[in-house]
Amino acid sequence: MRRIGAALVSLAVFLALWKAITVVGGYPEFILPAPEAVGERGLRAIGSGLLWEHAGVTLLEIVLGFAVGAGAALLTGIALGKSVVVERVLSPYIVAAQAVPILALAPLLDIWFGGGLLARVVICALIVFFPIAIATMVGIRSADPLLDEMLRSLGAGPAQRTRLLEIPSALPVIFGGLRVGVTLSVIGAVVAEWAGASTGLGVLINIANQGLFDTPLMFVALATLAVIGLVFYGAVVLVERRLVPR
Amino acid sequence: MTDIDTTTGGLRVEIVDAGVRFAAPGGTLQALADLTLEIPAGSFTVIIGPNGCGKSTLLRLVAGLIVPTSGRVVVGNAPPRAGDGRVGLAFQQPRLVPWRTTLDNVALPLELAGASAVDRRDRALQALERVGLAGSSRLRPRELSGGMAQRAALARALVTDPPILLLDEPFSALDALTRETFDTELQRLFLERRRTVVLVTHSVSEAVALADRVVVMTPRPGRVAAVIEVDLPRPRPPDLLGDRHAAELAARVREALSAAHALELRPWAEQEGAA
Repeated sequence: MRRIGAALVSLAVFLALWKAITVVGGYPEFILPAPEAVGERGLRAIGSGLLWEHAGVTLLEIVLGFAVGAGAALLTGIALGKSVVVERVLSPYIVAAQAVPILALAPLLDIWFGGGLLARVVICALIVFFPIAIATMVGIRSADPLLDEMLRSLGAGPAQRTRLLEIPSALPVIFGGLRVGVTLSVIGAVVAEWAGASTGLGVLINIANQGLFDTPLMFVALATLAVIGLVFYGAVVLVERRLVPR
Repeated sequence: MTDIDTTTGGLRVEIVDAGVRFAAPGGTLQALADLTLEIPAGSFTVIIGPNGCGKSTLLRLVAGLIVPTSGRVVVGNAPPRAGDGRVGLAFQQPRLVPWRTTLDNVALPLELAGASAVDRRDRALQALERVGLAGSSRLRPRELSGGMAQRAALARALVTDPPILLLDEPFSALDALTRETFDTELQRLFLERRRTVVLVTHSVSEAVALADRVVVMTPRPGRVAAVIEVDLPRPRPPDLLGDRHAAELAARVREALSAAHALELRPWAEQEGAA
């Protein structure tokens, strides 16, 4: 209860500051709309079905992109953590792929993967992949070598040691990576939409911003992305609370 | 396993000319050299020696965690293999898995051996009872005191009732009084089942109080410097200080230890690599 109260107070302060800036600055609506203008525009967008039409697509991209990216990252991270050879062979490519701006790659990936949902899921997964893979690798290596020897003395093989020791030891670090990854998945979906899509919140931002000069609508799309990010982040934290041994 | 001694339920261990060499920063490290030792089935052997003489390496050899670089190790009539179920090993630290309850920690060897859930629970509880920890089965390791954690580790080594029990200074971190209690209980456990027990220690009095035979090792590379038979009747009281024969034996062990220590100063004690 107290935490919800604190969140509401901080939201009220944020909105009040925002309002104060628009009043003091006297900006035109296409530069900085007042919060109530954005709220009113949001209600209209919900009522007309416009918001859901775009948000639904983006949600799907985020969920699939995060699932694919995180799943691949966990498996890769375990392999990287367990084998020095795998790390030496793979890590230059992983780091290089991360260093290349995804904004530059996205249009190419869009063409390669057929320009549909698949392409957007791939782009989103790619952005999500890196922090989770690295966190998993670091986490797997953090397993206590004394416990590892204890398990070996009981005849536990590599797969059993991964299941019984390495993954549980790595969970706190893995969840650190998942928290970063899940927020990146929102950015990934928008970047992917910008590379070529006709629906999605990223597309809505472009339409509102460049086509209609409807800045309040753009703010509605941004706020929706922020809420999606918060909700997914919260979901990861909830799963973490259940799973991480303490 | 037909090679288990029928009168004791223990297994015999034979180590012949065993050498162990590790890769170390800046070269290799000869931990053991030409070590020959026979441990009879159902006997209580105590290994004693200076720090870093390879006592723990010797236990790891018998546990099958490492293979000798030269020579051979035979348990029963086959080389040991980690997890073959013939050896229970308790380390210097309890090494309990922090997110498992005491019961689940003790049941771990059974879990890895593929025992059923009911069987695991029953046998783990029995093992906890044997070490006097039945009331703490639901606690997590961080809720246990140092002594309780070592009891749990001992229960984990005992849970499969292995023919050989290897104990690597499991009580060294405990206070003197707790340690004495442990020694008494360890002797009771030994007399209960007569498995082969090998205990590594630094304490001469502990060695004499528990052992059938005390094996004194040389500094690195570890060899057997002397074997002293302890022919005191069992069960032995925890405090043997008043016993004249025990005092004589302790003096002999101490003498062999200091003689072995002197070797460290000799130039031919081939100290290779970094310590």
